[in-house]
Amino acid sequence: MEKGFEIKDDVNIVGFTCSYCAFKASEMAGSLRLKYPEGVKVIQVPCSSRVDPAFVIKAIFEGADGVFVAGCHPGDCHFIKGNYFTRRRIYALKEMFEAFSMKGRLKLFWISAAEARKFVEKVTEMYNHLKEGKK
Amino acid sequence: MKGKRITKKDLLDALKKFLKDELALLIAFERDNKAFKIRAYKKDVPDICLFNPVYEANTAIYLRRIFSEDFKILCIFRPCEARAYVELTKLTQVESRSVICGSVDCFGTVSSKLDNIVFPENPQDLKSFLENSKNLRYACMTCRLKNGVFGDFGLRIDSDWNLWVIPYTGKANVLYELISSAESDLPREFLENQERNGQVFQSSLDEFKRDFDKCIMCLNCRDICPVCYCVDCVFNNDEYLPKGDALINSILRSNDAQIPKNKEMYHFIRMYHVSQTCVGCGGCEEACPQGIPLTKYYKGISERLSGLFDYVSGRDFEEKIPYTTFREDELPNADD
Ligand code: SF4
Ligand code: SF4
Ligand code: SF4
Repeated sequence: MEKGFEIKDDVNIVGFTCSYCAFKASEMAGSLRLKYPEGVKVIQVPCSSRVDPAFVIKAIFEGADGVFVAGCHPGDCHFIKGNYFTRRRIYALKEMFEAFSMKGRLKLFWISAAEARKFVEKVTEMYNHLKEGKK
Repeated sequence: MKGKRITKKDLLDALKKFLKDELALLIAFERDNKAFKIRAYKKDVPDICLFNPVYEANTAIYLRRIFSEDFKILCIFRPCEARAYVELTKLTQVESRSVICGSVDCFGTVSSKLDNIVFPENPQDLKSFLENSKNLRYACMTCRLKNGVFGDFGLRIDSDWNLWVIPYTGKANVLYELISSAESDLPREFLENQERNGQVFQSSLDEFKRDFDKCIMCLNCRDICPVCYCVDCVFNNDEYLPKGDALINSILRSNDAQIPKNKEMYHFIRMYHVSQTCVGCGGCEEACPQGIPLTKYYKGISERLSGLFDYVSGRDFEEKIPYTTFREDELPNADD
């Protein structure tokens, strides 16, 4: 029987990224040969507001050390209003994480398609921070 | 705001008149000897119990999915139940044209699981009995919204123990107009604001895990929660709550061998889903076979998260549920 795959002893971060901005930024980071940690797993979503907070919670309880949601800057949503809803929801979800002393395990980023460097900086910073806490 | 000072008999007479209508129904509490029950009355009503000290479930759950526009269903509920009704109308789970739901001042309640408590009949005595009771539910001990100021009308007690009926929406007229007492200004104490709970809920993942250790994932707490209404809850499917082959697969492919799976995930997701609409009624805790202190968490989180948007569940029919709306210029520091 096939064995379940072992989760590597690394920091695992699941990132939900909007396909119109942050996901593009992550691709551009690749073509610019910018490196970000292997533990960061990027999932493409059609809009950051597609991210039901349930997805974030599921990722955390299935083993992710951290989750980030990345969308277009407020005002720049491809669907006009999507990220305004994301902002409220994720802001509140972060507050809930704080109530359980889990601050830092969920982050919200605004990253436009042009901001490859910002993408790399943000995810690397998050990665290092979580790695520090895991030691 | 104005109201009418009435007697219990005035109220009953008005309710009897109201029930003459073919499509009229009254849902209220009844005291049957020692037992207290929620019940529906049609055509006539001999008596009702305004102050029911025993809590079974949040009665608003029975209004869910009333979609017909033809009835006139008058409800006399507790504040936390009327608030759940208000939330359900916003969530389009009740056709509010059919339902007229008011709230009565509440003295607090004890769990229906306790037997052998003899409650005084007279409201004054009942109030002091409950105030001194060690058995008050956690939800009621921490309740700051005990006044009948929610829903379509209020039934309130002033400091001289007079009963008042106060209309809050136009729909209240179906009852209000049937009461012949004169209309007058409200006593000053009714106009005072209720305070918000000042304490901010704080816990930790470890404490939470300990408290929920005995959860058996029966999902009672979800099924009895008035504002947890999704027909297609994610925990009805194998992705979130795997059973059978899906359970074995999920054990093999993850690091987590706990059975039943995902109870922490379940409570986190549900807590978030009701984080603006939870009315802190403690119905979930009452339904839990495992004695888990659900109210502390669900109510604590909802107070903390709704506080971010200055929202109070069930306070106002017009106030939008925060996750369904936004302001463009808000939360400049939401991102990291
Ligand atoms: S939670 Fe508040 S309104 Fe509800 S039964 Fe308890 S005291 Fe009454
Ligand atoms: S989560 Fe519990 S306390 Fe909150 S509304 Fe539902 S049943 Fe009541
Ligand atoms: S009712 Fe109690 S045992 Fe059942 S799922 Fe809820 S918390 Fe767990």
